[in-house]
Amino acid sequence: MNEQLKAILEVLIFISQEPLTISKIKEVLGEIPEEELEEALQSLVADYQQGQRGIQVIKSGGGFIFTTKPEYDQWVRRLLQIEKKTKLSSAALETLSIIAYHQPITQAEISAIRGVDSTYSLKTLLQKKLIKIVGRKKAPGNPLVYRTTEKFLQYFGLNSLDDLPKEEEIAKILEEEKETVS
Amino acid sequence: MEQEIQELQENQVETQVSQATSDGYQVKLEIFEGPLDLLLFLIRKKKIDIHDIPIAVITRDYLEYLEKKDQINLDREAEFLLIAALLIYIKSQMLLPREQEAAREDDPRQILVDRLLEYQKVKIACSLLREKEEDQLQRWRRTFLPPVARPDELDLLEVSLFDLAETFFLILKRKEKENFQIIRGKDISAEEKMKEMVHYLEKHGSMDFLEYFENQETLEEALVSFFCLLELIKNHTVIAVQEQLFQTIRVWLRKTRQPSHPHGSSHE
Repeated sequence: MNEQLKAILEVLIFISQEPLTISKIKEVLGEIPEEELEEALQSLVADYQQGQRGIQVIKSGGGFIFTTKPEYDQWVRRLLQIEKKTKLSSAALETLSIIAYHQPITQAEISAIRGVDSTYSLKTLLQKKLIKIVGRKKAPGNPLVYRTTEKFLQYFGLNSLDDLPKEEEIAKILEEEKETVS
Repeated sequence: MEQEIQELQENQVETQVSQATSDGYQVKLEIFEGPLDLLLFLIRKKKIDIHDIPIAVITRDYLEYLEKKDQINLDREAEFLLIAALLIYIKSQMLLPREQEAAREDDPRQILVDRLLEYQKVKIACSLLREKEEDQLQRWRRTFLPPVARPDELDLLEVSLFDLAETFFLILKRKEKENFQIIRGKDISAEEKMKEMVHYLEKHGSMDFLEYFENQETLEEALVSFFCLLELIKNHTVIAVQEQLFQTIRVWLRKTRQPSHPHGSSHE
């Protein structure tokens, strides 16, 4: 194990404000063997996970970043004097998850799935920069087309869109619900 | 339908209802995200198979909820009425006599079932994402860092169309303010301006008109000063010389009592 490499990685992640990507690390360190880098990163993540530490290194939004562990949430809030972080409204979350699974998608398509108008939710999500407009659809009226952003991934601690709950996972929950009902 | 309802509140009502065996509850329409949400709730409550919905029963239940409202706010509840209309339409389709083969092939309920199934998936995806959100909200990151010095390299930012539009409107707004100041600029009287120019010439002997022109506060004032120059030339108060095209115009007071002027070539 290259202990020095591990220490350098720790420093780079510590000093980055955004999740530090592999390509960025390579840019800084120059050519290093892929395996060596991978090993050092995994070891670093594991060190923080196992040790009696309040902070940890996690992979989120396509890179590595330091965060506090969830069990110490209340202490952070006490220090910063924050009651509770505000969650997304149900309407906004519903709209967001439809965009996440069906992107690129138009407002009309979202509203059709939800059965309700989604103008306000879209506005909120745009403001929070969880979604973005990526163009217009070649369809009558040339409606705007929406996609989720990098910030969306970070917000939910996803590394990429592949990390979204899978279709099978959803089907399984549906099955379980059915059993409890009948 | 864009109610902002606390998840908590929603949970409370749902547990209340699920504990109930009879229909003695006042369930507010507002707790449902939309008509599909209400339908799913009714289907679950009655323990109905989503693929074989008794339309008459569910329509009655559905309408009962709508009737609990004193009045329908069309802005907010039009979508609930739309689904009510769909339910009634489906029922009427089912009552119509059809040829057996056709009936087997397309169940008029299919359109509703498809939508409900899709919506059900969304609801579950939502609850999974909500768990992730709650978990992430408990993980804190440092949100500020000293700026990294990067003197001559500009960062390229990925911006969306929305960002661009926002920036554009910001600039437009700023520009509006600028224009506003110009409009409010004082009225310039040509007479005053002429007096001012003559004073200047008396004091300084000559004038570099380009410089004078550029030092004017506003475009309007500058233009007026040019008209004044023309006027002063016309009434023989001053002499103006421009030695080359696009170069400055030098201006002197005409000494009327002394017709012979040291600079001979004068343009009037």
